[in-house]
Amino acid sequence: MKLLIVEDQPKTGHYLRQGLAEAGFNVEWVADGTTGQQLALSGDYALLILDVMLSGRDGWQIVQAVRGAGLDTPVLFLTARDAVEDRVQGLELGGDDYLVKPFAFSELLARVRSLLRRGSTAPQETSLQLADLRLDLIRRRVERGGQRIDLTAKEFALLEMLLRRQGEVLPKSLIASQVWDMNFDSDTNVIEVAIRRLRLKVDDDFPSKLIHTVRGMGYVLEERGA
Amino acid sequence: MRRLSLSSRLALLFAACTAVVSLFAGLLFSGASEAHFIELDQQLLEGKLIGLRQALHDVRSSDSEIRPDEELSRQADLSLRISGSDGKRWYDSAADLPDKLAQQPGLSTITHAGTDYRVLNAPLFPEKPDSPQLTLLLDITHHQHFLQRMQRLIWLTVGLSALATALLGAWAARSGLRPLRRMSNVAKGVSAQSLNARLPEESMPPELAQLAHQFNAMLGRLDDSFQRLSAFSADIAHELRTPLSNLLTHTQVTLTRPRPIEDYREALHSNLEELQWMAQLVNDMLYLAKADHGLLMPKREPLQLGHEVDVLLEFFAPLAEDARVTMSREGDAGIEGDRGMLRRALSNLLDNALRFTPADGEIRVRISEHTAGLRLNIENTGDGIDPALLQRLFDRFYRADPARQESSSEHAGLGLAITQSIVRAHGGQIRCESNRGWTRFVIELPKKN
Repeated sequence: MKLLIVEDQPKTGHYLRQGLAEAGFNVEWVADGTTGQQLALSGDYALLILDVMLSGRDGWQIVQAVRGAGLDTPVLFLTARDAVEDRVQGLELGGDDYLVKPFAFSELLARVRSLLRRGSTAPQETSLQLADLRLDLIRRRVERGGQRIDLTAKEFALLEMLLRRQGEVLPKSLIASQVWDMNFDSDTNVIEVAIRRLRLKVDDDFPSKLIHTVRGMGYVLEERGA
Repeated sequence: MRRLSLSSRLALLFAACTAVVSLFAGLLFSGASEAHFIELDQQLLEGKLIGLRQALHDVRSSDSEIRPDEELSRQADLSLRISGSDGKRWYDSAADLPDKLAQQPGLSTITHAGTDYRVLNAPLFPEKPDSPQLTLLLDITHHQHFLQRMQRLIWLTVGLSALATALLGAWAARSGLRPLRRMSNVAKGVSAQSLNARLPEESMPPELAQLAHQFNAMLGRLDDSFQRLSAFSADIAHELRTPLSNLLTHTQVTLTRPRPIEDYREALHSNLEELQWMAQLVNDMLYLAKADHGLLMPKREPLQLGHEVDVLLEFFAPLAEDARVTMSREGDAGIEGDRGMLRRALSNLLDNALRFTPADGEIRVRISEHTAGLRLNIENTGDGIDPALLQRLFDRFYRADPARQESSSEHAGLGLAITQSIVRAHGGQIRCESNRGWTRFVIELPKKN
């Protein structure tokens, strides 16, 4: 997976490259818009991460050029400008998502993965599984180690999300947005409580824990060596 | 072109008014005196006519002996012409009379060789159709001189009185407009540092009192906004100071000597928490700044408030169960608004209510519809809030509980301010009431705006 970052702030660009590379992506970073546009037009990339304010060509001009060339590479905008018109303009010009600075890296990572997954048509799954945890999507049932677990509708949706994105750190804001359709940053600790309750049902009675808290970042569902 | 000052304008207007009035009076007076002279002349001439008709009663033709001198000698400025019914001149009492004279009977005024005459034509024998004509000419030059003098006097009066009123008017206008200058002096002195200057309303004339009042009110509003703004900046600095100093101290202490890797991890985690808190604060402040600039533009989508509240109650259900608080909703209403923004506003209120409701307490959401709009109440049981503090609840960074002030992991105190901004962006109002063990947030929204 090759990603292109066009970001003129050296520090931001550097850390984005490092973070995404460590998350397993092949990342290229350029600081100026003109070079960025040339690279983007090559069509070699699975995703473009564009800062809006750039020297040379700005992010909007790049996305226009990319769409004009008939490429449908997903585009994620990073912007320090938070005016509503900016968002509308960015999305109208063909951006697929945007993040307003300051943003959390975990949020960026989750969005990048969402965008990359969007294109690929995943086979219609009937069940999701991790270790001895099994989620039956058709009968809406959850079992662990052959033992039936009763979940509320939202708990089921939360576990489904964690299972679908197992191994990914999911920030609280993303969970709130996907499971409860709450699309704003809130400092409420509802998600913590919801995760705790899910853990109580899914993990507490079993020796190997699957739901993990990544401090300051979010939650991840994965099998870890005891 | 340079615009005239108010004083000059008023002075000129005064002068013009005086000139018009005195001119009118002068013309009226001169017209009246002229009419009076004409009347006097007519009376005189008609009196003479009677005497002349008697003296000339035997005149029949141009050959008759004509001796009207007795009548005429008593009046030096009077002349007489007698002519036949065919217009032929029979007799002139003086040599320099005009050749041609009007023939129509009655009084007229003519000028001949620099002399003004009042002329009266009348038949000598009124009962006879072919009577000889008498024409009496009265020299009225001295009248005319008097009238001309009077006209000059009128013009002089007009000019002088206009000049005098212009000067007096200028002085009056200047002193009359003194309150305006005072106002301008106060305005001159106003700056961000001195928004507390006020005009003395009670010493202003009634016409300006209203203006002075509005002016003071404007200064008051500016002062208030400015105070809030300065307080807001000071608050931001204050809010950021605690996490920043934590970050600085922690990072420096961590770096002072080599440590096990776990300690570094711990330090970074701790820093991350502070940083996330600061990022949230900055994002919230940007949101509020956007609201302040009128850039919060809610979408207008048809929503069922009851459904939105239910979704939020479901979202908060785990928290409520943990806190052993029951939540309920009654009533429903349709509204056009922005789903995301309204959810955010209501979620802040519910979050707030959950935080202040004691265990085994209750939170009730009630929606009611009335003609003008709808009302949404979110009420919770609890100790209630000091009525004096109710107004300040929506202030930025305001926390009802001062004990929370310095704990940086807690809420920044912007939630209610954001809620208020969202409600206002929807054209609504929000207030808080607290009594008899219930705290109630009341949102009133128009159905359409």
